[in-house]
Amino acid sequence: MAMRKVSLLTIALLAATASLTACGGGGVSNTISLNNASCGGAWTLAKPGWHTFDLYNANSVGGEVDLIDPKTGGIYAEVDQLGPGTTQTMSLDVGSGRYAFRCLFEDTDPLTGRTVTVPGHVKGFAATAPVTYNDLLGPDKAYQAYVATGLRTLAGQAGTLDSDVQHGNLAAARRDWLTAHLTYETLGAAYDAFGNFDDEIDGRADALGVTNPKWTGFYRLEYGLWHGQPASELTPYANELAADVRSLQAAWPTMEIPLIDIGLRTHEILENALEFQLTGHDDYGSGTTLATTLANIQGTRELLSLLHPLLVTRYPGLPAVYTWLDRLQVLLEAEHQPDGTWVPVSQLSQSASQAIDAACGQVLEELAPIASIAEPRNA
Amino acid sequence: MGEADEHPGRRSFLRGIAGGVAGGVVAGGAAGYALHAPPPDPAADTAALEGRLPAVPFHGKHQPGIVQQQPQTAVVSFDTTAGNRAELTDLFKTITSRARFLTAGGTPPPVGIDGPSSDSGILGPTVVPDGLTVTLGVGPTLFDDRYGLASRLPAHLTPMRSFPNDDLDPAQCGGDLILQLSAGNTDAVLHALRDIARSTRGGMQINWRIDGFRGPARPAGTVPRNMLGFMDGILNPPMSEAKDLLWIQPGTAGEPEWAADGSYIVVRLIRMFVEFWDRVDVYEQQQMFGRDRATGFPLDADSLYAVPDYAADPTGAVIPINAHMRLANPRTPQTASSRIYRRAWNYDRGIDQVGDLDMGLIFTCFQQDIQRQFEAVQTRLIGEPLVDYISPFGGGYFLALPGVRDTADWYGRALLT
Repeated sequence: MAMRKVSLLTIALLAATASLTACGGGGVSNTISLNNASCGGAWTLAKPGWHTFDLYNANSVGGEVDLIDPKTGGIYAEVDQLGPGTTQTMSLDVGSGRYAFRCLFEDTDPLTGRTVTVPGHVKGFAATAPVTYNDLLGPDKAYQAYVATGLRTLAGQAGTLDSDVQHGNLAAARRDWLTAHLTYETLGAAYDAFGNFDDEIDGRADALGVTNPKWTGFYRLEYGLWHGQPASELTPYANELAADVRSLQAAWPTMEIPLIDIGLRTHEILENALEFQLTGHDDYGSGTTLATTLANIQGTRELLSLLHPLLVTRYPGLPAVYTWLDRLQVLLEAEHQPDGTWVPVSQLSQSASQAIDAACGQVLEELAPIASIAEPRNA
Repeated sequence: MGEADEHPGRRSFLRGIAGGVAGGVVAGGAAGYALHAPPPDPAADTAALEGRLPAVPFHGKHQPGIVQQQPQTAVVSFDTTAGNRAELTDLFKTITSRARFLTAGGTPPPVGIDGPSSDSGILGPTVVPDGLTVTLGVGPTLFDDRYGLASRLPAHLTPMRSFPNDDLDPAQCGGDLILQLSAGNTDAVLHALRDIARSTRGGMQINWRIDGFRGPARPAGTVPRNMLGFMDGILNPPMSEAKDLLWIQPGTAGEPEWAADGSYIVVRLIRMFVEFWDRVDVYEQQQMFGRDRATGFPLDADSLYAVPDYAADPTGAVIPINAHMRLANPRTPQTASSRIYRRAWNYDRGIDQVGDLDMGLIFTCFQQDIQRQFEAVQTRLIGEPLVDYISPFGGGYFLALPGVRDTADWYGRALLT
């Protein structure tokens, strides 16, 4: 198992006897010393109320410190990166209940200190049951399967697009481009989720410029299809896109989705949509960035449904997430024209654009806590 | 949703409609999402206040930021996206709650493992008020058919009219709401803007905004200057006349009762062509304003706050008849009721297409009646010599809501209930 370090023992012994005064008033701090032999020492809590703890890492390695309810494992507060020899503060409203510090130092077994009980019936800051690594294995696997299914669909659609372009049927290509691109955008490929594949399949022209032959993928084809470029010029890009999708599909079973990403992506997908789609940045001619945003909502909903059992007991804001996702979705769908086209962002009325941006902004605020809540933690 | 999680430390749009419980806790056994704010820490607050402005009381009959003028400001126009009257009400309550916290200061509540930090952190761990004033106004478009407020439109709240020398950009005009945030330092202003915007994303969207500043009085003991080098707003009406010039009085004919104790705001964004101006002889500049550039004295007097004696100068031999100061306030009994309370800040925001500096004035003024006061003044100024050197390009007419009286009150309560 993990190696235990025995340095700084002197400090540790001193720390274990640290004096802890009552801290019911405002702003009284208590130094809590933590090391690999004693997580908090003989600390006490005189009464409920507002407390600030100065957490001193007397160990020679860094680590995480949680204030937990040792009976339920719920976490009141955590300090994520407490460097050796440093102090960070932890503040909370202490209520009646059980409290203990838990030290998770690098290369060291978790160590839970003494339990301090605050008697009575005073309501304080509630502990949140941590989402564990185990909890996330199921959602991770399900997400992997969701993407695998999507990639299978996408491979077929990219093949159709490739065939359209090769045969010079550019009207069909424009239609099939949208179908395929929206499929890709449901997969939640925000922030390098697919590594280099994403650059090849859905990369922006930003750094390269629109005339650079190294620019490939959906947006390159969109640019050509909506800027009058001939089939002969676009065929190599259509071939390459179909090939890149097949490569991703082949590689996907071996690609791991870090457990922490499941929660993170619940807001990152739409952060990307706000930055690149709702601004019109990623409109290379088709004017379909609102449709892209809808596809991104679908991807977000998929992640939310996988996390739902974990979130429903932990996140009181979850209903608001759905309220605002629904509102955003309705606003976007209203911009789908009867002839099947989409209103480009640049042509939205000011009130429509404000309503969409406001709803997206509010969705993101509601989604943001999920990354913290669904971060994998020790049980 | 629906449970009270309102707290002085955090309140978000549509997240506490049942609110009102200070220090409240989300009921129903849900985990610690409700945020518990720490008690004030006098020691920390004292330390943080060093070199900063003291807090300006938030509660009162009138809003703060009308009588006071802090050195840094952000003037932000919003359009509301609240879907109905109930959501608009929640929006106003949320802005109230955030303004109450931001103007008093305190430590933002921790969130445990339940989300990102409740505060942007740009003022450090303790939010200092730094003299923050939050002034909220409503524009005429708020009274369209969206919220059923048409019958409550204030008598003088029209769209901003265009004057002959204006070059108004619709993208920088009007708005359902105007939010003016002023404080001792820019970081406190921007902290407040980010906090309020974060708490109200679904309810309103920024329409246009501009940041402004007032320099210190140079030399000390005088009045801050504008970007043309002249002291700005030297003689405002005294507060003893506020009842007749500044605040909408209860029972005023034509004014809805809810507007009592409010005040009309006119915002005019005025570009100054400073390069051109700097090529103009100081004597000519002084003729245009009617004051000495160096001292700020009226050209007919030898002290800063002297009242110019136009009766003694009927032909404009000393202070030209068309000098800005003389047109704006002729100091006659007939024009006394058109006086306004000027609050101007300088703005500075980059360059124009020919590489000249885009700087100028955020002219704001407060008054009881826009037509009787601002428009009368501005009408007299039509064609003044100064118009060659300035170009009004944006702004709007708004009504600063009555003050939030106490911890149970909220912006627009009288308007919306």
